[in-house]
Amino acid sequence: MRPLTPRRVLTLCSGLLLLLFIAVVISLRVGAYPISIPDIVATLFNRVAGRSDLIPPVYSEVIFGLRLPRIVLGIIVGAALSTAGAGFQALLRNPLADPYVLGVSSGAALGAIMSLIFTPHVAGAIQMAAFIGAGLTTGVVFLLGRRGGQLDAATLLLAGIVTTSFLSAVIMFLMTTLSGRDLRGIEFWVMGNLSNPPAVNPVWLLIILIVAGGSIYTTTSDLNLMLTGEQEARHLGVNVRRVKLVVFVASSVLTGLAVSVSGSIGYVGLLVPHVMRMIFGTDYRLLVPTSAIGGAILIVVADTLARTLLGATEVPVGAMTALAGAPVFIYLMRRRVR
Amino acid sequence: MSAPSDSRVSAVAATETALRLKVEQVSYAYSATDRSAPQFTLGPVSFDARRHDLLAILGPNASGKSTLLRLLAGVTKPLSGRVQVDGEEISSLDLKARAQKIALVQQESQLLFPLRVWEYVLQGRYPYGKRLRFESEEDCVLATNALAQVGADSLRDYWMDELSGGQKQRVILARAMAQQPSLLLLDEPTQHLDLGGKVELLRRLRKLADENRHTVIVVTHELDLAADFADRVVLLQKGKCLREGTPAEVYDRALLEEVFDAPLEVEMRTNGRPRVSLRTNY
Amino acid sequence: MGFWQKVGSLLLLGAALGQPGSASTVVQGTKPGARGRFVIDETGRHMTIPANVQRIVSVAPSLTEIVYALGAGDRLVGDTNLCDIPAEAKLKPHVGNPQNPSLEDIVALHPDVVLATTSINYAATADTLLKLGIAVYTTDPETVLGTLDSFAKIGDVIGSKAEGVAVESALRARLEALQGRLADHPPAHVLFLVWLTPPMSIGQNTFIADALRWAGAESILATDQRWPNPAFEEVLRLQPDYIVLTTDHEGSGKDATDLRSRPQWKDLVAVQLGRVVTLNDDIERPSPALVDGIEQLAHDLHPEIFIGCGSSGTGTAPCGR
Repeated sequence: MRPLTPRRVLTLCSGLLLLLFIAVVISLRVGAYPISIPDIVATLFNRVAGRSDLIPPVYSEVIFGLRLPRIVLGIIVGAALSTAGAGFQALLRNPLADPYVLGVSSGAALGAIMSLIFTPHVAGAIQMAAFIGAGLTTGVVFLLGRRGGQLDAATLLLAGIVTTSFLSAVIMFLMTTLSGRDLRGIEFWVMGNLSNPPAVNPVWLLIILIVAGGSIYTTTSDLNLMLTGEQEARHLGVNVRRVKLVVFVASSVLTGLAVSVSGSIGYVGLLVPHVMRMIFGTDYRLLVPTSAIGGAILIVVADTLARTLLGATEVPVGAMTALAGAPVFIYLMRRRVR
Repeated sequence: MSAPSDSRVSAVAATETALRLKVEQVSYAYSATDRSAPQFTLGPVSFDARRHDLLAILGPNASGKSTLLRLLAGVTKPLSGRVQVDGEEISSLDLKARAQKIALVQQESQLLFPLRVWEYVLQGRYPYGKRLRFESEEDCVLATNALAQVGADSLRDYWMDELSGGQKQRVILARAMAQQPSLLLLDEPTQHLDLGGKVELLRRLRKLADENRHTVIVVTHELDLAADFADRVVLLQKGKCLREGTPAEVYDRALLEEVFDAPLEVEMRTNGRPRVSLRTNY
Repeated sequence: MGFWQKVGSLLLLGAALGQPGSASTVVQGTKPGARGRFVIDETGRHMTIPANVQRIVSVAPSLTEIVYALGAGDRLVGDTNLCDIPAEAKLKPHVGNPQNPSLEDIVALHPDVVLATTSINYAATADTLLKLGIAVYTTDPETVLGTLDSFAKIGDVIGSKAEGVAVESALRARLEALQGRLADHPPAHVLFLVWLTPPMSIGQNTFIADALRWAGAESILATDQRWPNPAFEEVLRLQPDYIVLTTDHEGSGKDATDLRSRPQWKDLVAVQLGRVVTLNDDIERPSPALVDGIEQLAHDLHPEIFIGCGSSGTGTAPCGR
């Protein structure tokens, strides 16, 4: 009998953070513009120390203008999507749930389209509008997804499916009937893309990630019990209603955050929690932090591949997450001794 | 007024401390909508149980047994009356405090993801700690004890879905016991078991009631099992408590025939417990 | 340090590292030693372009054509992998495709100016490059005359002002001559098909619709939608005089015989009379070849205007030049 201890959680997470660090270093190093590792370090040092001599300014442009924003965004988006995925899988009692199943990405897309129509050249407007669209959709699904006064897994799922279909139809209608020329921008945005970081300070994103992720983490003991049955958990003293609300809101916030800044990147929210489950087990006290870090690693790796694999042509990062994640998943599935 | 005599004080004290469960005039009604007449009413019901008691709630289908059990568990709030465990009214307890006192043993367990037996049993310790908790050594010891008491020691490292029906039931029972409850509630636990399994379960429950502090309450319609193993019986029919007492007191032939709508034969055996059988010569 | 102090300093570090260039308007980032002219491009973006432009990157095939037409092909250091006119453009270093070019490749080429256009490129590409301190001149071709005008502007930007003006004047003269010839002739009503199945045409406010007007044609669909999908019944009701299809520059596409055998299409009078014109796609692109395309279309739609003009069977040398 070896119950999970905080020390074990910290140890495993540190190991994963080390992997993330390595992935980040590799990502900083590779790219069309050649910069050696010592030069990378010097550029970073110069920036932090506030100096701008000795290093060609173009290095600073490439690292701070192109690569680092992608990496930071990738980490935040990857962590947000994986955590939300783990949360929704518990909330909806469905291993196939991913963060988009409740319509958040369609709501964000609709918000983005509205922004392209009404405020096409305001910097940051599309992200704000997408986040608001995601939030409103979450609210609607929440109201539709209740049964007997609290959130019910099957009802939520149905509400999500209906909402997604409806919003997709509205979006298609708008795209067909409207004549604005910048609607082409919506394709770029919907595809899932880290290559043009939004004009939002990533520290805000990080704060939202920590607060929302942290809220989910406080419910992990409860979630472990709820996974053996809702009634059972209630009888053991879990405030099931409160837990469902917290997980729903926090996971939706995380998904809305990710989709608003990078479009819909698929597979991360579904694959990463399952992979972590196969490696580390189903205890959510360990699953949530490892999924977050694992998602960050996956996106950083996938994005690095996306921008370097085919030379000058960039592959959509969503395609790379599937390509990078699926073989790992299959390998783990075959290895399981069950 | 003169002070009561010592012996009477200690007798009252002894009775009070041994009294584990006190159900006073508890009633409940269920209707489909707020305005229609109640489709089903229960009570008022009153009874008590002491430590080490095994109490059977007996009755045919739709007599309100499960509803009564839910009232005892605090899952449903009674319309009137109160339920007290160890002197405290359970409706005044918060969720965790209630879980420390009362354990409801489910029949089945639908696991979403695979889980090992010891992890499952450890979850029973949840009521004793902060919201986000990591289990302590003491938790592990108690969980191990619980497994031992149901004879499921060897199953410790198995996966839950590898277990047979009977093994799973024992493990579920172990988790309930890890809660260290005062009251252990079971709803028709013998439903899917064969005769040997039924007897084994009741024997185990009997043993738990005798050895531990638990008071065990079992909802059942099995007359003979209740007769053999229960200390007290509460007989329900259509939401009304018809009689309450020891099996010998409750098992009156005319009464039972009317409640269960079957021709019966009731004999008293030498151990003071009645035996019920179907009357075949009619 | 206490736990929260550590968290706080980490956040501060992140804030220091993470500041983007500017959140309000898209302004070119500071490039040390940037001298040159202050320019506002056709989308309203501000930038500083060096006085002496030696390294040009184009992220659209039409712009690559323009650079060569202005005689600056030797100064083009990078283009997209779709740029194939003229043939030499295929040999230049590639930066990816127009929709999602590799920004690092562009930076690695150290361009003095990058040329982009709203007709094919995404705004985000130009915005990001500007933030990195690279000048990006974006054209916004909405009309044919506007396009000719932008040739001159591009010439000015890349330091080929005289060539730009010359190209623009020559093209404008051809258009005006054409207009003269078409003066008394009513425009032909055409259905311009961008795609055949399902049929997709063009709206009245598009660049192509303007080009059609210069060629003496008018699109039959009176809509503001950019790429309308007309119901076939509507087309049947409107009975266009001509159907115009385009092929890509390898010449693959559909032609009149193909349409005559298709079930709904053969009910159209234009198809029955063989009035189906196939053009190459010059007319869809805001490049100098646009005027060739307009002239070709005018010739095909109004052959009577060009009789006796020395045009050969293939009609590739129309009058008016």
